Amino acid sequence: MTAPVLEVTDLAVHFPGRTGAPVRAVDGVSFAVAPGETLGLVGESGCGKSTVSNAVVGLVPPTRGSLRVMGTEMTGATRATKHDIRARVQMVFQDPVTSLNPRMSVGAAVGEPLLVRGLASGAALRARVSELLEEVGLRPEHAQRYPHQFSGGQRQRIVIARALALRPDLLVCDEPVSALDVSVRAQILNLLVELQQRRGMASLFVSHDLAVVRHVCDRVAVMYLGRLVELAPRDALFATPRHPYTRALLAAVPEPDPVAQRAKPRVPLAGEIPSPSNPPPGCTFHTRCPFATERCRQEVPAWRPLGESMVACHHAETLA
Amino acid sequence: MRGISPGMALILLLLVAFIVAALAAPWIAPFDPLRQSLLMRLRPPGTTVAAGMYLLGTDDLGRDLLSRVLHGARASIAVAALSVSISLAFGTLLGLLAGWFRGWVAVAIMRSVDTMLSIPAILLAVLTVAVLGPSFLNLILVLGLTRWPRYTRVAYAQTLQVATLPYIRAAEMAGAGSARILWRHILPNIAGPLMVVATSEFGLMILFEAGLSFLGLGIQPPYPSWGSIMSVGRQYVERAWWLTVFPGACLFVLVLCVNLFGDWLRDRVDPRSQGR
Amino acid sequence: MQPALIVENLSLALGRANLVDSVGFSVAPGEVLALVGESGCGKSVTAQAIMRLLAPALRQTGGRVLLAGQDITALPERAMRALRGQAMSMIFQEPQAALDPLATVGTHIAEALRRPLRDVRDQVLQMLAEVGISDPARRIDQYPFELSGGMCQRVMIACALISRPAVLLADEPTTALDVTIQAQILDLLRRLAAERRTAVVLITHDMGVVADIADRVAVMYAGRIAETGPTAQIFARPRHPYTSLLLASIPRLTDAPKSTLAVIEGRVPTPAEFGPGCRFASRCPLADDTCRAATPPLRDMADGRLSACFHAEQLP
Repeated sequence: MTAPVLEVTDLAVHFPGRTGAPVRAVDGVSFAVAPGETLGLVGESGCGKSTVSNAVVGLVPPTRGSLRVMGTEMTGATRATKHDIRARVQMVFQDPVTSLNPRMSVGAAVGEPLLVRGLASGAALRARVSELLEEVGLRPEHAQRYPHQFSGGQRQRIVIARALALRPDLLVCDEPVSALDVSVRAQILNLLVELQQRRGMASLFVSHDLAVVRHVCDRVAVMYLGRLVELAPRDALFATPRHPYTRALLAAVPEPDPVAQRAKPRVPLAGEIPSPSNPPPGCTFHTRCPFATERCRQEVPAWRPLGESMVACHHAETLA
Repeated sequence: MRGISPGMALILLLLVAFIVAALAAPWIAPFDPLRQSLLMRLRPPGTTVAAGMYLLGTDDLGRDLLSRVLHGARASIAVAALSVSISLAFGTLLGLLAGWFRGWVAVAIMRSVDTMLSIPAILLAVLTVAVLGPSFLNLILVLGLTRWPRYTRVAYAQTLQVATLPYIRAAEMAGAGSARILWRHILPNIAGPLMVVATSEFGLMILFEAGLSFLGLGIQPPYPSWGSIMSVGRQYVERAWWLTVFPGACLFVLVLCVNLFGDWLRDRVDPRSQGR
Repeated sequence: MQPALIVENLSLALGRANLVDSVGFSVAPGEVLALVGESGCGKSVTAQAIMRLLAPALRQTGGRVLLAGQDITALPERAMRALRGQAMSMIFQEPQAALDPLATVGTHIAEALRRPLRDVRDQVLQMLAEVGISDPARRIDQYPFELSGGMCQRVMIACALISRPAVLLADEPTTALDVTIQAQILDLLRRLAAERRTAVVLITHDMGVVADIADRVAVMYAGRIAETGPTAQIFARPRHPYTSLLLASIPRLTDAPKSTLAVIEGRVPTPAEFGPGCRFASRCPLADDTCRAATPPLRDMADGRLSACFHAEQLP
C-alpha cells in the first residue's frame, strides 16, 4: 500500500472557552488521505470540520495528536520543516471575495507563492502564471487585472490557480462552492474534478453539502460535535449509511426533484446541536438520536470497522 | 466611482489654490515679505505706492501683508505636511506591528499609545519647544513625534481586522514572511482609513502651528506665519483690523476645506457607503 | 378563490437601471409560491417592494400590488404600517440579526400583536408551542443570544404568524441554517401555511427547497420572470432554457459522481448591460437574432405554465 499524503491521528483542537471549560472544536479525529484520493469531510456548522482543515494547513495549532504530511510529522516540527511542508499543502477558501488581496493584481497573487519561495521570477514567473491561469480556464492577459474586475466564479478560479502554483500534494478545499451562485457552482465543481483527474492530486474537501461531496469525493467522513461518526467509501456511505446521524443528514438534504423529495419518509432530526464546550457524555449524538439507549448515554462508542466503513455507534449493526 | 459634486469641486479648487500659492509664494508675492518700511507702517488695504499696491495693507513694520500671508501659507503647509508625514509613518509602523504580532508587542505599543493620548498634546508641544528652543525644525519634530498615537490606533484596529482575512492566510501558506505580508498585503488595504486620519490631522497641524507661532513658540520673527502675524495684529486690532482678519480668514478657510475634504474622503473610503 | 396576493407588472429601478421588469404573480390562500433565482435576479427587492420597504435608492416605476383584492400600491405610509406584520409579514435569512438583542422572545411576539406581553402571555405561549419551541414557559423570557439559529427562526415565524396575516413573505428563511434544522423549519412552514391558510411567497436560490415545499414556482433571471408554473411540471419539463440548464447544473444524490455537470457559460449581465432582447440571450444555447432584438413576452404554454422564451417549444 502506498504511503498516505496526509495522516491524521487522534487530532484534537481545543479553544479556550469564555466560561472556563475549553471548547472542544475537534476531539480525537483520525483519518488518512491516500495519493490521488479526494476525502470529503461533512457535517453541520460547529461540528469542527473547518477546524480540522485549518489544523491540516497549519493555521491552527493542534492541542493533541499527530499530523503527518508525506510522512513528515508537523506537530512540534521546526520552523524550516513547517515552511517546507506548507508548500506541499495548499488551500482554497469559501469566500472568493476575501480570498484575494483587492490591491494586488491577479498575476501577482497567483505568482506570489513562486516568488516568495524563490522558485521563479521575471519572465519565467510570468510564463508560469500564464500557464496556471490557463489551467483553471482563465486567459493569460487576466494577470494584469485586479480581483474586483472578476465575477465570483472567476475569482474562485484565481484562488485555485494560486493554490496550484506550488504543485501541492494535497489541496484542502474549505467549502469552495458554498458562496457561489448555483449556475457558477457547476463550473467550479467541473474544474475541481478535472484537476483531480489531470494532476492526480489528493484533496481534503470540506463541505456541508452532501450532494456536492458525493459528486467530487472518493471517500467521505462525517463529523458531529468534534468527532468522526462515520468514514466510508462514497458509494457505501450513500447507499448504506451505518450511523444514525449520517442517515438523518441524508434524509434532510432536499433533493431538486419534487417527486422523489415528497416521497421521502419524513423523520426530521429533533432538537439542536449541543454546545461543544459541554458535549453530552457517552455518544455525543445520543440527545438527538432516535435509537439511543442507556448504553449510548454512558459509554463512548468505539471507532470500529463495519463492512467497508468505519463507524462510531453501538447499534450500527442493528440499523442495517 | 461617483462624480464630484459642485461643492466638493469648489473645496478641491480652494485647496489647490492654497497649495499653489504656498509653493509659488516667492514668485507671486508682490513685495519682499521681510522688507520693512517704517514710513509705510499700518497702511490700510489698497494703499498705492510707486512700487505697487499694498492689496491687504501693511503691518507694524511697514511690510506688505499680502506677501507675508502668502509666505505664511508656505510655513503652515510645510509644517503640517512634514509633521503629518513623520507621525503617519511612525504611527502606522507601530500599529502594523502591534496588530500583526499581537501579544506583548501589542501590549507594549498600545499602552504607550494610551499614555501619549492622556497627555494634553498642546501642553506637551509647548513644553518640548520651550526645552528645545523654538525653530522650524523643532516645531516639525515636536508635532511629528507627539501625534503618532492616533495613527497607531487606527492602523492597529485595521490590521487586526485585515489579518483575519483569507488572503492573508493564503499569503502565509504561500510562504511569505511578516515583512512582506505587512507591506504588500496589509498596508495597501488599510491605507484608506489612515489617509482619512492624516487629512484631519493635517487641518489640526495647521491650527497647531498657528497656535504655537501665536504664542511665539513656532516660526520665529522676522519670518512670517499666520499665527505670528495675528499675534502682532492683536495689539493693533482697533487700528489695523486687516492684520488679524486676513490671516485669520485664510486659516479658517484652509482648515475648513481640509476638514470637509477629510469628510468626503471618509465617505469614499468607508466600505459601508460603497456600492448599493 | 380570490388570490391573497397579486403582483402585476411590478418594475423597480435603481437610478436608470431597470432592476426588476414587469414582474407579476399571484398566490392563493394556503399556497406556497417559490420565487427562485440567483443573487441579483431581483427576487429579494421584489419582496421588499411588496412590503414597501425598499432602500431609498430604489424606485418603483410601475405596477401594482393587490392584497386580498385591494390595491395597496398607493396607500399612504401610515396605512402600510398598519398592514405590515398584520395583514402581511416577512421573515429573513439571518434571524439573529432580525431580532432585537435587548428584547425577550415574549416581547418580540407581543409586539407583533401590538399589545403588552402581560395581556397576551397565554396567546404567546401557545404560539411558541405551535412553532415547535420546547419549554415555551422558559423560552418566553429568554433573549435572542440564548437561542440557536433555528430557534431564532422559529421565534421570527411566531412573530410573523401570530396576527394571522393573509400573506407571508419568507426571504431565504433557511439559507443560514444547517440541513437538519432546515428540514424542521420547512416542515413547520408547510404545516402552518396549510393550517392557517396563509399565502406564502418563499424566496430562495435552492432548487431542493423549492422541490420540497413549493406548490408553484416563478423562476427569475436578471429582473424578469423566465417561467412560472406548478412545481412538478417545472422540474419535470422546464419550458425555459435557463431553468433547464440550472436544473442540469445541480449535483444530485442520484447522478453519476464526477460526471461533468451542465454549465451555464458566462455570467449574469449587470443592469448596465441589459439590452433590448431576452436577458438570458448572452448565455443561451438557443439564442438567435430574434432573442437579441426583442423581449420575449410571457406566453401561455397551455399546461398552466407561462414561459418567456421564443423557443420554448424546442426544449425537450
